[in-house]
Amino acid sequence: MTHLGSLSLYLALVITAYAIFTSLWGVLRRQEAWIASATQGVYAVWGCVVVASIALLHALLTEDFNVEYVAGYSSSTLPIQYKFAAFWGGQKGSLLFWTLILVCFTAIVHFQNRDKNRELMPYVTATLMTISFFFLGMLCFITPPFERLAFTPAEGSDLNPLLQNYWMTIHPPALYLGFISAAIPFAFAIAALATGKLGDVWIRTTRRWALTSWFFLSMGNLLGARWAYEVLGWGGYWAWDPVENAAIMPWFTATAYLHSVMIQEKKNMLKVWNMVLVILTFALTIFGTFLTRSGVISSVHSFTQSGLGPYFMAFLLLTLIVSLGLLFYRLPDLKSENELDSIVSRESAFLLNNLVLIGLAFATFWGTIFPILSEWVRGIKITVGPPFFNQVNGPLGVLLLFLTGVGPIIAWRRASLKSLRRNFIVPLSCGLLAGVLFFVFGYRDYYAVTVFSLAGFVLGTIFSEFYRGTRARQAMLHETPPQAFSKLVGKNPRRYGGYVVHIGVVLICIGVAGSSFFKIEKQITVEKGQTFEVGRYSLEYTGITDTGDDHYTAQIARINVFVDGEQIDTVFPEKRFYIKQEQPTTEVSIRPTLLEDLYVVLGSYDVPSGLATFQVFVNPLLSWIWIGGIVLIFGTCITMAPNPAERYELALARSSQMIDGESVAD
Amino acid sequence: MGKGNTLALGRMTAKGKFFVGVVLIVGAVGYLMYTGIRETSSYYLTIEEFFVHKEAMANEGIRVAGRVQKGSIDWNPKDLNLNFTMVAFKEKEGAKGKTPTPIAAPQQSEHDEQLEGLAIHYQGILPDMFAEDRDVIVEGEYITGANGNVLEATAVLTTCPSKYEAEIEGQETAAAGY
Repeated sequence: MTHLGSLSLYLALVITAYAIFTSLWGVLRRQEAWIASATQGVYAVWGCVVVASIALLHALLTEDFNVEYVAGYSSSTLPIQYKFAAFWGGQKGSLLFWTLILVCFTAIVHFQNRDKNRELMPYVTATLMTISFFFLGMLCFITPPFERLAFTPAEGSDLNPLLQNYWMTIHPPALYLGFISAAIPFAFAIAALATGKLGDVWIRTTRRWALTSWFFLSMGNLLGARWAYEVLGWGGYWAWDPVENAAIMPWFTATAYLHSVMIQEKKNMLKVWNMVLVILTFALTIFGTFLTRSGVISSVHSFTQSGLGPYFMAFLLLTLIVSLGLLFYRLPDLKSENELDSIVSRESAFLLNNLVLIGLAFATFWGTIFPILSEWVRGIKITVGPPFFNQVNGPLGVLLLFLTGVGPIIAWRRASLKSLRRNFIVPLSCGLLAGVLFFVFGYRDYYAVTVFSLAGFVLGTIFSEFYRGTRARQAMLHETPPQAFSKLVGKNPRRYGGYVVHIGVVLICIGVAGSSFFKIEKQITVEKGQTFEVGRYSLEYTGITDTGDDHYTAQIARINVFVDGEQIDTVFPEKRFYIKQEQPTTEVSIRPTLLEDLYVVLGSYDVPSGLATFQVFVNPLLSWIWIGGIVLIFGTCITMAPNPAERYELALARSSQMIDGESVAD
Repeated sequence: MGKGNTLALGRMTAKGKFFVGVVLIVGAVGYLMYTGIRETSSYYLTIEEFFVHKEAMANEGIRVAGRVQKGSIDWNPKDLNLNFTMVAFKEKEGAKGKTPTPIAAPQQSEHDEQLEGLAIHYQGILPDMFAEDRDVIVEGEYITGANGNVLEATAVLTTCPSKYEAEIEGQETAAAGY
């Protein structure tokens, strides 16, 4: 099987080269047959990579420890779901997984456009195949996943215990899907630049892809946060580690793009800016992969230094040179057809939102590479830690939250004072009310109260939007309220789904603010039977139980939780020792409620003295982060719903582009 | 916003006003980043580099990467006090990629203190992977005083560069082709 796997990788590499060549040759020579052949190549590459992936999975599932990758990341006692997860648990496998997703997306995009966008597609093929070529090259020559050992170990050294968690099994695929789907809008942007078909077609064609990418980036980050919270046992979920930064930077630029395309669609402005955002988002996904795999920046959870760094750097530079070069070449054709009418308008709110998002991305980038920069400039490494990111990104986030509220209710072009007063009175009151309420309930910190008030403000704007839209339909079309509401959303899923996403974001902000500003933390060493207080909880430690199987051994502590003298729950924080990796891990016990999480860690257990050390956190409002995440998923699904108006606009854009094309040809 | 200000803005074009907004935001980002770096940055050194720059590091916030010396761990589970000595990385034969920073340390191996190592004190729960001979990053302040010099750690991070990269002990070189 492994021979077949590596053989199909080589074959795929050759076919990608063929597809790049034929698609470009076909378009230059205007020969349809060549282009069609390139498309066949795309499907063939997909087939090859699927075969290779099945081969690796087969090796993992059949415990073929003669394969170095299997021996390194699996073992005979590893539960089956983690044998699947081992596919992306290590450097080599994850690169193959990456390539697999990329070729799947490439195949889907070719199938979707099998009789559409004929001018753009050859360049899309060439761009996507170039990216595949790079990854396949890595797989064939730098990190071959099917490498065999000279002997067969009796047992594998197991998957890292930190990865043996269900969040970890779905977090990397989510993030990869987000990273890789950013390549599709990028490929269309390159095609638009190459062909000079710079109208709306490429943007409208890739809207769902951009949304998909954004969706999975959001999921990847949230699931990663969830994993960190549950597994790492330090009471938090986000530490501004370089790897986390690598994942959040493309999210910032992708979010900016989703907003600024609306201005291009409505007003024909910001064409260059949108190109830059698409290119930047893709470049940041490659940069992120480079960061996590090169070992240039030490991180708590990166892959080892490998020979991959320079290649990724070279690929990144190539990407930037080619795409920015093309952009520069087309600059005269990308002139804005409109100008900003007024500073008090939705356009300008969107533009400011873009600036803040780019500011966030830039500050994060700067903080991440600061050690490298300072070493170049001053010869000594200087790092900035989480305080830097919190200090810079915190206020920017607050500003962004404010703009989230302003954007939807301020008028396009120019907002009059009267409309401002009418639209803002309800949301502003909501904001004020939220601030006062939180203050009264004891959340007293001016920074946090600002966030809560703004959250109230944003929710106020969203609900008044839904309310007014529904009322208008009721009045004009005589529909019942539920009818009016569902038709309102159904007619414009993009807009109202977007609002739902905003609700999710607001809930996440509330969770972040609550758990950052009002966290209670306590470390304590106790004997069996002793009781200690944390926040409003009394915790009684009643002893340790030893358990385990042939995969790991565990010590489980039992703690009774009391509030006001009444027992409300029992929690079981745990310490595990994974036998094959010889590594202890912490299994946190979390008792989540809507108001706060009780988070208990068994820090250490001293057998001779019988003393147990616990670390206990009370994290207020933290659950709202995950609830917000679910709302965000729901909202994104609404925005992707089929939309007749959108299809009409795309058809319109396409026909106007065709007319443009003809006039150019004349 | 003052009245004079509003009037001055009132005469500006929308583009001009927007430009003012841009400058304000860019300025704010720049200012936040500047003060953020000034207030929160710390030196990040390998233990070898630390001994070279030792004098300059007195009472500074620093992060030092090094290895936990064998037999130096003194851990009191009752009050969670941890003392240990950090020493230089010794490159193991054939085990590449063991140092958390790729930058080669200055050749100062004859330095006396380096043999002694750096005393670390930390109060808190031990990280899971903390053990003798492991690579760690210690964050804290380097206190110099009459009672000897010690790095008062606020955090001890265990790095295991080979965390996601499997180790097949001593057999890496034996990996053959197909």
